[in-house]
Amino acid sequence: MSARQAIKVGTKTVKPVLSSSHAEARNRVLSLYKAWYRQIPYIVKDYDIPKSEAQCREKLKELFIKNKHVTDIRVIDMLVIKGQMELKESVNIWKQKGHIMAYFKPTEEPKPKNFLSKFFSGNE
Amino acid sequence: MLRQPLSRALALTSPVRAAPLTARRFADQVQAQPEKVEVFIDDQPVHVVPGTTVLQAAAQVGVEIPRFCYHERLAVAGNCRMCLVEVEKSPKPVAACAMPVMKGMRVKTNSDLTRKAREGVMEFLLVNHPLDCPICDQGGECDLQDQSMAFGSDKSRFTDIHFSGKRAVEDKDVGPLIKTIMTRCIHCTRCIRFASEVAGVDDFGTTGRGTDMQVGTYVEKMFLSELSGNIIDLCPVGALTSKPYSFAARPWETRRVDSVDVLDPLGSNIVVATRTNEVLRILPRTNEEINEEWLADKSRFACDGLKRQRLVSPMLVDSRGNLTPVDWEDAIVATARALRDCPPDKLLAVAGDLADAESLVALKDLVNKLGSENTCTEQYFPLEGAGIDLRSSYLLNTKIANVEDADFVLLIGTNVRFEAPLLNARIRKSFIHKETDVALVGPKVDLTYEYMHAGDSASIVKDLATGTSSHAVARRLEQAKRPVVILGAEQLRGPEGAALLAYTQQLALKLHDKLADKSWKVLNVLQRTASQVAALDIGYKPGVGGALQGGPRVVYLLGADSGVVTREALPKDAFVIYQGHHGDVGAQIADVVLPGAAYTEKRATYVNAEGRAQQTLLAVSPPGKARDDWKIIRALSEVVGERLPYDNLDEVRARMSEISPALVAYGDVQDNNYFAQATALAQSLQKPLSGKLDVKLKQLEDYFMTDPISRASPTMAKCIQAVIKQKQSPY
Repeated sequence: MSARQAIKVGTKTVKPVLSSSHAEARNRVLSLYKAWYRQIPYIVKDYDIPKSEAQCREKLKELFIKNKHVTDIRVIDMLVIKGQMELKESVNIWKQKGHIMAYFKPTEEPKPKNFLSKFFSGNE
Repeated sequence: MLRQPLSRALALTSPVRAAPLTARRFADQVQAQPEKVEVFIDDQPVHVVPGTTVLQAAAQVGVEIPRFCYHERLAVAGNCRMCLVEVEKSPKPVAACAMPVMKGMRVKTNSDLTRKAREGVMEFLLVNHPLDCPICDQGGECDLQDQSMAFGSDKSRFTDIHFSGKRAVEDKDVGPLIKTIMTRCIHCTRCIRFASEVAGVDDFGTTGRGTDMQVGTYVEKMFLSELSGNIIDLCPVGALTSKPYSFAARPWETRRVDSVDVLDPLGSNIVVATRTNEVLRILPRTNEEINEEWLADKSRFACDGLKRQRLVSPMLVDSRGNLTPVDWEDAIVATARALRDCPPDKLLAVAGDLADAESLVALKDLVNKLGSENTCTEQYFPLEGAGIDLRSSYLLNTKIANVEDADFVLLIGTNVRFEAPLLNARIRKSFIHKETDVALVGPKVDLTYEYMHAGDSASIVKDLATGTSSHAVARRLEQAKRPVVILGAEQLRGPEGAALLAYTQQLALKLHDKLADKSWKVLNVLQRTASQVAALDIGYKPGVGGALQGGPRVVYLLGADSGVVTREALPKDAFVIYQGHHGDVGAQIADVVLPGAAYTEKRATYVNAEGRAQQTLLAVSPPGKARDDWKIIRALSEVVGERLPYDNLDEVRARMSEISPALVAYGDVQDNNYFAQATALAQSLQKPLSGKLDVKLKQLEDYFMTDPISRASPTMAKCIQAVIKQKQSPY
């Protein structure tokens, strides 16, 4: 790559996905969070999942917190869009019970971390 | 005395045929180099010493001339004619392998004449070679296949219009290791030359002339050699193939993993060919310092023992005294409880013949953390005098490759032929090509070459050391410029072992003092097993005798299968933990069995008799629930409550390098010194010797089964049967 091209790429202004500022992106995240939060009682009832509302709220918070390190506005926007899609699918009962439960990963076993548990599980 | 076969004696000997290793040139060997001659290979000029053959000169400029009979480690035969090349001003093409270069010679390796000559030779070979490549075991690694593709004609003129058929030859029976399909033989005579030059068994030869020529043993006879498997590798076609491997796989289906052999103390380099998590065969890997390109039969063919008698699950003794399979948790907890409840001075760890350095280090660390110093190996070595404090006392200091340069070899109480077959092959090589003489103190055994037999009583060593001997051996030792003394470690076991070692050290030092070349090492101790040197480096005490006297309550056997620790020798309530890969002597007496990995199933370090650290690589995964050995000890340590501070192989190796950097300097061997100091410390041990020296492995049938892997191998069992049967035959 020639030097001129490199400079061009380095200084490229990117097209925003939705938000043009951090404050705007933050607002979108918060409103998505609130929408999910309000939907939780209906999800618990409609899908008849073996989880309480409190547990679901806890999971919602956990899933949002998981991405708290993201600072790129475009990435935040994409995550918001995907969150909205998920929400819409849940509201319209396009999902099934298993899809909702998948947020809780009921069948996933934690990977052995220390030497001894790795040894006994046969991973070491 | 004619040491080499007549063909060899008459053949042209070229100076570069001896392996060109700069490392093993010694001071007085430097001769005036003769003036080099210039020759032209395909118009490329190359300067070579006179006596070089055209083929070697071509190899120097990277031109490879096709050949079948020529092999760089064997005498030149010149009978396959495949290496014909055109030489300018020569009326006929010449055989490159046998033609010495001449000044200004212009060789054309790719001219029309050369190509036509090759095509013709190829056509003649194929006229009498069966077209059975689809059912031939050599398929895919066949020189004839490859070269007929590269240098053969594109069409055949062979039409069997009279339907008389091709030449057919009756197959021979040369034992349970080598399958012969003699119709495929192209008479390159490599097997004959190997047998008579390297293996020292002059049984092979040719009968008949022309179309009736046959390679064979004249009378039906087994190839009684411990190096017999090498003729399979040497055979350029599928006439000699491996019996245990027959119809098993094609070379392109197998995965090849470089590794190191552990069935003898030399640590020969090997390639393990595997498929579907199974070891199919073991081939030698070239290492000029150790095994050249040969491999001993036990190392090559005992690999089927890796699939039999394996320990695949942890086992615990139940209320009725039977070992029953349990989970790792149960086995480790039971073992840990036994270790924790044991008073430190009643804890004993014994390392066996095939233990790797990683697990040796882990076990010693664990035992030491538990407060015990009782870590031993099965093989004995005298601790009096310098003992194992000086590494030079227990190593093969001369190094295997340098034995070739020796002019006198004194063997004390060792049958090198079976204890270290490839070391014996080296001695035989120098005996044949370099006029080296050999003397033996010990029982009269067949070493495949002539030697002076000095007798079998230990006092001969004392006489030689003190200079009171009038034997011819003493005179020869005096005159020798590069003498080598090899003492078998087996002899050090008895009560006179320390004295024997002391006298041998004194003898070696005396010889060394007279040498012009002080860098030459004289003293060698040939260990019997692959683990011993590493164990002694790490600080294991050799021999379990003393430790068993103390009446241990818990005994940890790390692959200890040579039967030194027995139930009778232990107190009634002793708890025996066995960790290893084969259900052999050790597992029989155990209360807990912890299944480990064999040498093909782990990345592990082994130190050979020279003190050269080498590592095996993982070729197949351990069977069933078996685990890497050091990991078992590491897991155990955590349950005992004395956690070892390493979680992965790199950390274990860092710990090993703390103990001795030599343990992780792979491929390197350090020079050893302090011979004088060791001798001085052993001065007081020089007591009169009265015993006789005896060796365990006397005959070929003793050689095949010496360790848990070869004892589990059906091929090795067949070998013993066949050798015993052959010995009864009148031939």
